[in-house]
Amino acid sequence: MLRDARDYQIGFLTLFLLIGTLLRDWTLRPEMVATAVVTCIGTQVLLSLAQNKWLRYQRPDPLESAPESLAPVYLNWRSPLISALGLSLLLRADHLSTMALASSLAIASKFFLKSPDKHFFNPANFGIIAVLLLTHDAWVSPGQWGEDLWYGLIFLGAGGLVLKRVGRWDTTVAFLSSYILLEALRNLYLGWTWDVLAHRLMSGSLLLFALFMVTDPRSIPNARPARLLWAGAIALLTFILRNYFYQPDAVFWALFMLSPSTLLLDRLWSARRFEWWVSPQQASALLDG
Amino acid sequence: MNYLRSIFWGLLVAALCLGFAPSAWAFCGFYVAKADTSLYNQASQVIIARNGDRTVLTMANDYQGEVADFAMVVPVPTVLQEEQVHVGDPAIVEHLDAFSAPRLVEYFDPDPCTPVAQYAPLPSNLALSGRAEAEVLAEDALGVTVESSFTVGEYDIVILSARESDGLETWLRQNDYQIPAGASELLRPYIRQGMKFFVAKVNLEEFDRGGFQALRPLQMAYESPRFMLPIRLGMINAQAAQDLVVYLITPDGQAELTNYRTVNVPSNAEIPLFVKEEFSDFYKAMFQTAYEREGRNVAFLEYAWNLAGCDPCAAEPLTPEELRQAGVFWLTQVNTGFRPAPTSNALSNAFVTRLHVRYTRDQFPEDLAFQATSNQQFFQGRYVLRHPYTGEMNCSAGEDYQRSLPERFEQEAQTLANLTGWDISDIRTKLPATVANPIPWWRRLWR
Repeated sequence: MLRDARDYQIGFLTLFLLIGTLLRDWTLRPEMVATAVVTCIGTQVLLSLAQNKWLRYQRPDPLESAPESLAPVYLNWRSPLISALGLSLLLRADHLSTMALASSLAIASKFFLKSPDKHFFNPANFGIIAVLLLTHDAWVSPGQWGEDLWYGLIFLGAGGLVLKRVGRWDTTVAFLSSYILLEALRNLYLGWTWDVLAHRLMSGSLLLFALFMVTDPRSIPNARPARLLWAGAIALLTFILRNYFYQPDAVFWALFMLSPSTLLLDRLWSARRFEWWVSPQQASALLDG
Repeated sequence: MNYLRSIFWGLLVAALCLGFAPSAWAFCGFYVAKADTSLYNQASQVIIARNGDRTVLTMANDYQGEVADFAMVVPVPTVLQEEQVHVGDPAIVEHLDAFSAPRLVEYFDPDPCTPVAQYAPLPSNLALSGRAEAEVLAEDALGVTVESSFTVGEYDIVILSARESDGLETWLRQNDYQIPAGASELLRPYIRQGMKFFVAKVNLEEFDRGGFQALRPLQMAYESPRFMLPIRLGMINAQAAQDLVVYLITPDGQAELTNYRTVNVPSNAEIPLFVKEEFSDFYKAMFQTAYEREGRNVAFLEYAWNLAGCDPCAAEPLTPEELRQAGVFWLTQVNTGFRPAPTSNALSNAFVTRLHVRYTRDQFPEDLAFQATSNQQFFQGRYVLRHPYTGEMNCSAGEDYQRSLPERFEQEAQTLANLTGWDISDIRTKLPATVANPIPWWRRLWR
């Protein structure tokens, strides 16, 4: 078994990318994926090094007299890789530079847009919205996933597995159920047949969002009640943006707009912050305590 | 003097009469027959030129019934006034169709004994046509409001808003429109979304006075954040799958569907020479095969290109004037005093995306929604015929070349069978003789 839940995420996102490239004639370009991966990881490395330096400069540790080169630098490659895969799956652009910009902004957002100990934008989401706003060259192709039920099942199964390991399945459930409820009510009011609703929901990008983006445990509220409320609010905003402002990429805008509220929600409901792994000492402390 | 001969790639072609159903090209609303003629929509062509929220919609159809019976109801996002509606020139739609139609390209193999070459493309052609419809009246008791009412060209047009679908249905019946059964249920969602109804029928006096052979395309200009095309109403009186070709013209790049998957139509396939004689059958069979293969629920991209150029060109590119008539309102006039017509510069900010949608009620529950993107990738449906070299060959390369032909023909046959679902053995009987059988040199001398 893989030790880090992110390894599962990486595996699944890669699988989706391969399926997309092999089975669907997407406009997926290998050089785009490469650009995203290299830029994301590169930005992470650069900013981590810079941050280390800065921290040391700010708070020189008297005990740590070892030369810098010997100081252990933990290279976090998993998170930027996940962001890169997410961007590759969701974002389309005509120029490589746009993808590079999205990738670097995505990662940079983790370093610069944060409360003392927590970044509150999902990096891939931030990257997507940033280039939609800043450039004239980016778009999201919500239709390109098609609606095959089979696809939905793979997504659900895969996502469920990942989420179970991560322990944030509640946001997915809260988001999807609120969103389905809202769309169902609208469908009822308008008088469309139910296959219209099914078609609206059978969207690969919606599921991808619900399973992999809105669940990112590092950037969403820590306490469960806060998460449920937060996910419900995103569903509502998505619903409004999609149906009344005709935004095809409504989910991404909704998450982006509501992300900062994480800070407020964390203040209202305090809970321990999520860590990808728990050290043995912490674990035993938790068990003992 | 065979060294003088090198290659020429001719190019020909055929256009494609997309030949789907010659009977009735229809539209995204539904036809309403005033007599009991049974009409159904089989196919239609729509041009949507859009920049920002500004939209010009051109609806063309090849209505085959009695002109007096023609009527059409289309949901529109805003109330339209007389000057927002226009009757277009069917030639523009035909030209755009010809320009973007899937094409057959012919190449001639060079003499294998004389390496290298160049080429000169020739134009091709294609086919289609279009038009539209209308009528006027009002009653408020039914909750129906006539927002505006006018005559444009050979059409009488009414823009209606309604509170209830029953009232709208009643109003239409009272005013002599024969509504297909079940229309009311389909009208309701549009009413509740606050959409208006564009109702058109033919003004016979105007039609006769104009001496038109057929109904011309209707165009409407409006501003709305909604970039969509209603297709649900059109399914109401259509039994079979319907074909819709949408030309989306946007400034920055391809436009795409946001609620259905888009698949590139199979392209760049090398197929046997005999297909030249039956290209129309080939395309229909190939399209049908691809449609089935993809699950009947996708749209096909047939062409995506900047309107400034084409390669090879199936028809002359549209002039700025033609584009204006097609609804492209944002072309900037780059020419200053001296320079004549703005050509490529001015046109570089118009990109056409041709989507071919074959839809049925069960596979396409929702109306089509689009978005403009900056995707500059070019695409065209293009099928290649390669004529083998038939001149005299006196070199070992020539012998190798001839030995390679049977395998190539077989490959082409298999490609064709795979694309169209045609029987491979039938195809094989139509292949050129694979025996090396060069034409005697004297036949070329005294032909």
